[in-house]
Amino acid sequence: MNLNPATLTRVQFAFTVSFHIIFPTMSIGLAMFLAVIEGLWLKTRDGLYLEIYRFWLNIFAMGFGVGVVTGIVLSFEFGLGFAKFAQLAGPAIGPMIALEVLTSFFLEAGFLGIMLFGMHRVGPKLHFFATCMVALGTLLSASWILSANSWMQTPDGVAVRNGRLIVVNWWHVLNNPTWLVRLPHMLSAAYLTASFLVAGVGARYLLEGKHLAFAKKSVALGTAFAAVLIAGQVFIGDILYGTMLKHQPSKMQAAEGFWGKESPSPAPYYWVIVPDQKEQRNRFALGIPYLGSIWLTHSLHGRVEGLKNTPPDRQPIMGMVFYGFRIMYGVAILMFSVATASLWLRWKRKLFTSRWFLRCLVVMTPSGIVATLGGWYLAETGRQPWVIFGLLRTTDAVSPVPAGTLLATLIAFICIYAFVMAAFLIFVARIIRRGPESAPAQAEASGSLKNAFRPQVLDRASADAALGR
Amino acid sequence: MNLPLLSACFAAMSVTFYVLLDGFDLGVGALLLLEPHEKSRDHMIDSITPTWDGNETWLIMTGVTLLAAFPIAYGILLPALYIPVIVMLLALGLRGVSFEFRSQMKRFRRRWDFIFGVGSIVAACMQGLILGALLQGVSVEGIAFSGSVFDCFRPFPLLCAVCVLAGYVVLGGCWLHFKTAALLQEFTVRTLRIALPVFIATFSATAVISFSIQPGIGAVWQMHFILLTTVSGTMLVAALILFGSINRRPDVRPFAAGVVMIAAGIVGLAILVFPNIVPFRVSLWDASASRLSQIFLLTGAVIVTPVVLAYSFFAYWVFRGKTPEKGWDG
Repeated sequence: MNLNPATLTRVQFAFTVSFHIIFPTMSIGLAMFLAVIEGLWLKTRDGLYLEIYRFWLNIFAMGFGVGVVTGIVLSFEFGLGFAKFAQLAGPAIGPMIALEVLTSFFLEAGFLGIMLFGMHRVGPKLHFFATCMVALGTLLSASWILSANSWMQTPDGVAVRNGRLIVVNWWHVLNNPTWLVRLPHMLSAAYLTASFLVAGVGARYLLEGKHLAFAKKSVALGTAFAAVLIAGQVFIGDILYGTMLKHQPSKMQAAEGFWGKESPSPAPYYWVIVPDQKEQRNRFALGIPYLGSIWLTHSLHGRVEGLKNTPPDRQPIMGMVFYGFRIMYGVAILMFSVATASLWLRWKRKLFTSRWFLRCLVVMTPSGIVATLGGWYLAETGRQPWVIFGLLRTTDAVSPVPAGTLLATLIAFICIYAFVMAAFLIFVARIIRRGPESAPAQAEASGSLKNAFRPQVLDRASADAALGR
Repeated sequence: MNLPLLSACFAAMSVTFYVLLDGFDLGVGALLLLEPHEKSRDHMIDSITPTWDGNETWLIMTGVTLLAAFPIAYGILLPALYIPVIVMLLALGLRGVSFEFRSQMKRFRRRWDFIFGVGSIVAACMQGLILGALLQGVSVEGIAFSGSVFDCFRPFPLLCAVCVLAGYVVLGGCWLHFKTAALLQEFTVRTLRIALPVFIATFSATAVISFSIQPGIGAVWQMHFILLTTVSGTMLVAALILFGSINRRPDVRPFAAGVVMIAAGIVGLAILVFPNIVPFRVSLWDASASRLSQIFLLTGAVIVTPVVLAYSFFAYWVFRGKTPEKGWDG
């Protein structure tokens, strides 16, 4: 790798954005999960739900915090690293992100405090409302950011005059050709992520024979959500595949690993390739015969387009796109299998006792995060060499910052993010090891909790403070 | 209607909210390093925990408003301020995660508090550097930054860094005076009695030196002499009221005076910079995005901002009164 500023800027952005997306994926999913759980608790008044709520609330809070601080970085990085992109695209994506901040970040921030620390200060219904508002905030945030990113993938509704971009039609900018397919894809990815996190932790406790009531509920809820969501996700993914094929053929050509104008017939489905971008061929390819034709063309001998249909100076790097796609798709197949097995075992009433299945769930705990990262690599590396598809090349967008400074800040980012990630993992591991029963304030959950929820506690607090003076 | 001007007002509002709100947050963070008792530190942090996230959101709002309404300025300023902005973001990041980690890892609380304090100080200083660099002026060619990323490490921006840190410490001290109980009374009083004079001294020095650093400033003073004198007078009166109300009732008075003092400072800066968005270089109108972009941004802002302010106020209202000494879970 040569140390030119463009490469360093891109590596820095790729690193910070990859790190960031892990946390919103969890937060979007867990926020919705927490809203559902608190709703169930309010409806049934079953203390078990509250136990689950409190347990995941801690992990959610931590992940949300990391997501916020790494997200602030991104909102400035457009300008720090890609000044010309910001100057050109600002009029289109700027207002969208501004509206994201206004409608979502403030909503989350305003109600997060109440969600985390307000149990003693507001009633349970208002607290539930706060949880719902946080979940709504994460949903709106995803919606705006997917709209902005989809506009970069399939720009619409704008014109370029005198080198400056002018919005002609906002509806076309927002509702660009891919937004309404990519948004549900990302949302269900986030909800799948949360489902597998919850099921995985429950399975771990079942295997250890600890916290059994909590564990059974977690496995039951997690696998149920996962089964519904993965079925939907396969369907949405298929639609998205067709949409991208139409609007960004170069991405999908790279994603399947074929170079020639047309793939061989019948086309295999590759799982491992060693592409040679210069020679425009694969040095090595391993796949399942016929499967490519069957999956991609729904016939036994159909052919698929290869990357040579796109001129070399407009091609993405095949290796990154291909493996991003294969990671996402491979994990999705595993998720589908596990979800199907869970339905079968539920039917046979062996969901909590099949140790092999529980072990699978434990392994699958972070699967949603892995698949989401793979999917975003497909989306972002597949758009290259463009930062705004067809409008602005990534290398033309970089800021005038010297390579030495970029390298220094990249190292700083890596060190600090590694430190934060280590602390986060240690923290989550400790919460999981400690288990739900000794979670903070758990003592109150056994019936006396309703008292704790009453706002009169506020008076006690202010009385304390008054005495303190 | 003059849309870029309205967008600029919105950006100014965001930055004012940010400085006032995160200002006291960062000030409280910086003061952690001076407080040796863990129980007192817990109390200090409890006073800002429920609302810090919303306070910091105004920073993103400011940045993104700049991107949306003045993309040309955004693209010039961020590369120019590359180093202080990145260091600030990293410092804010470490500080942000310490909020959660310190409460979850009791054994390492001391270390997290140290990170929290250092992160707060570094973030405040970087914001001062940014202010200083803006006032001394960034090099612009066409619509791109043409200077060196190290331009902001000259003596004048460094002086601004000290000034901003002192200002935030004053706000933080006022907040603790307002929100915390007897436990921290003595500490708060001592802090305010030292930090306020330091702030006034560095601020005055900055103001005087700025004339020789940036010729544009002298010109603005000539043009708006009465206006700027009034603003300076307001600052001074607010500072005197603040000093006089330390350790007296009502507890909120120093904070109110501190807010007026800093807000007056921001108004003064706005007068100096107006009508430019890249100070002394590029005007609002030359840097602005097209009409439909401004309309979209402003429509959203006009509709949503009142709601945002309402529930932000509600969040403060829920946690009103003195912060309980046992924390929010107690």
